[in-house]
Amino acid sequence: MKALALSSILCVPLALAQPAHPDLQGVYQSISDRVTLSGGRENVGSPAAIQLLPEAAKQAKAVDLKKDPWKMCQPVGPFRMMAQEQTKIELVPVRAMIVMLFEDLSHGVFRTIYLKRGHPGKLEPTWLGDSVARWEGDTLVIDTVGFNDQTWLNDEGAQHSDALHLVERIRPVLAGAYLEYKVTAEDPKTLVKPYTYTRYYKKLDTEILDDVCQDEE
Amino acid sequence: MSNTLGRTLVALLVLGMAWSAGQAQPAGQAHTDWTGYYALANNRDLAGTGFHQDAPGERLNDLIVAHLQPWAKARMEATDGVADDTGQVCLPDGIFRYPSMAGRFLWLEERGRIVMVFDNVNTAGVRRIFLDRPHPKNPIPSWNGDSVGRWEGDTLLVDTIGFNDKSWLFGGMEPHTEEAHLLERMRRVADGSLLEINITVEDREALTSAYTYNRYYKKQPDGVEMAEDVCNEDPETWKAYRDAALKKELDRARQVK
Repeated sequence: MKALALSSILCVPLALAQPAHPDLQGVYQSISDRVTLSGGRENVGSPAAIQLLPEAAKQAKAVDLKKDPWKMCQPVGPFRMMAQEQTKIELVPVRAMIVMLFEDLSHGVFRTIYLKRGHPGKLEPTWLGDSVARWEGDTLVIDTVGFNDQTWLNDEGAQHSDALHLVERIRPVLAGAYLEYKVTAEDPKTLVKPYTYTRYYKKLDTEILDDVCQDEE
Repeated sequence: MSNTLGRTLVALLVLGMAWSAGQAQPAGQAHTDWTGYYALANNRDLAGTGFHQDAPGERLNDLIVAHLQPWAKARMEATDGVADDTGQVCLPDGIFRYPSMAGRFLWLEERGRIVMVFDNVNTAGVRRIFLDRPHPKNPIPSWNGDSVGRWEGDTLLVDTIGFNDKSWLFGGMEPHTEEAHLLERMRRVADGSLLEINITVEDREALTSAYTYNRYYKKQPDGVEMAEDVCNEDPETWKAYRDAALKKELDRARQVK
């Protein structure tokens, strides 16, 4: 009995000390499409491969590519940003949220991902939308809605509607040396069907620097 | 030891001594997590607390101008409020300027560092205060500089060097040089409802002496979220400002020749 009681006393703090989910804090950078990681893990898919409904395809063809938000130093939205090679992010988990900071602040800005609330009933459309998340085992599942119509889905001018819905799944792989990032975009008003791509982000032992769009001027 | 490093160490020592000599910090009080959303405190926030903003609003210009060296004052008078204002073209305003005027930020504490994310992220940027390393020997000059900090009880002493010379000390276009040195003493007051930042700016190349002032930030209630604020919402206006700025810069360069 005494042994059991002692065991309970010892086990409770140990159990409390176990993280309920992976600690994602750190700086990460997306790997090249030419790299294959252990276990055959590699980047799959691309925003360029989305299938647009006829009306959306017509709209994309008519777009002036010179007005690409990327060229205007505007935010490009998570779907496009996370697919870019060399995108550098810092994840800062604190209390009830995880903040995702981009080294390229102008195009990525920063995202606040809330863990303890759902989407508000009424959303003001924004460049980055409203992000909420939950843990499924070791995977952080982020759900984002409430986008404005200013961003494009790819470099070819694909537009999206206010019905754009992103589901991102992030989990550490290869002993935490990489993050696996999968995102699915659905938009019944512009996409033929939901589209998913995968990227791998390498954990870096470095700091994020100032990276200012148009700074060269 | 470099001059900058030497001055940094001396300043930190002086700050620490001033703190321990003059402030009512209970001995041994440990740091508590300050994570949250803060906004520049207004008169209503400060009413009855005994604290007030030094040189509030545009009056901070007067404080700074009184410390400018003649060349810096002449340069300030020659600037153009639009063409030379980096914030107008969605470039950073630098760390000296934006937080003092209308700062809203997330204060995030993580292992080894504190991250301040300003709501107008394009102009104010993200600031990282490293708690687990000293300044690099030769920091690359940047808009927000290189910040290191250490806790003394529940007060954070922050030392920042390594600025570029592209930003201004405040809205009056008061210049600084890469020698600028920012010292901050941060603590929570008024039962933790306010964050006090005591700010000292030195720049032996641009200022006759250091200037110091306080700013207070109100911790926002749980559930109040920092809204998205993108500077470059309207690219046509942005391009017009940028083109005007570039043209004036070119014109000035021609005049100098």
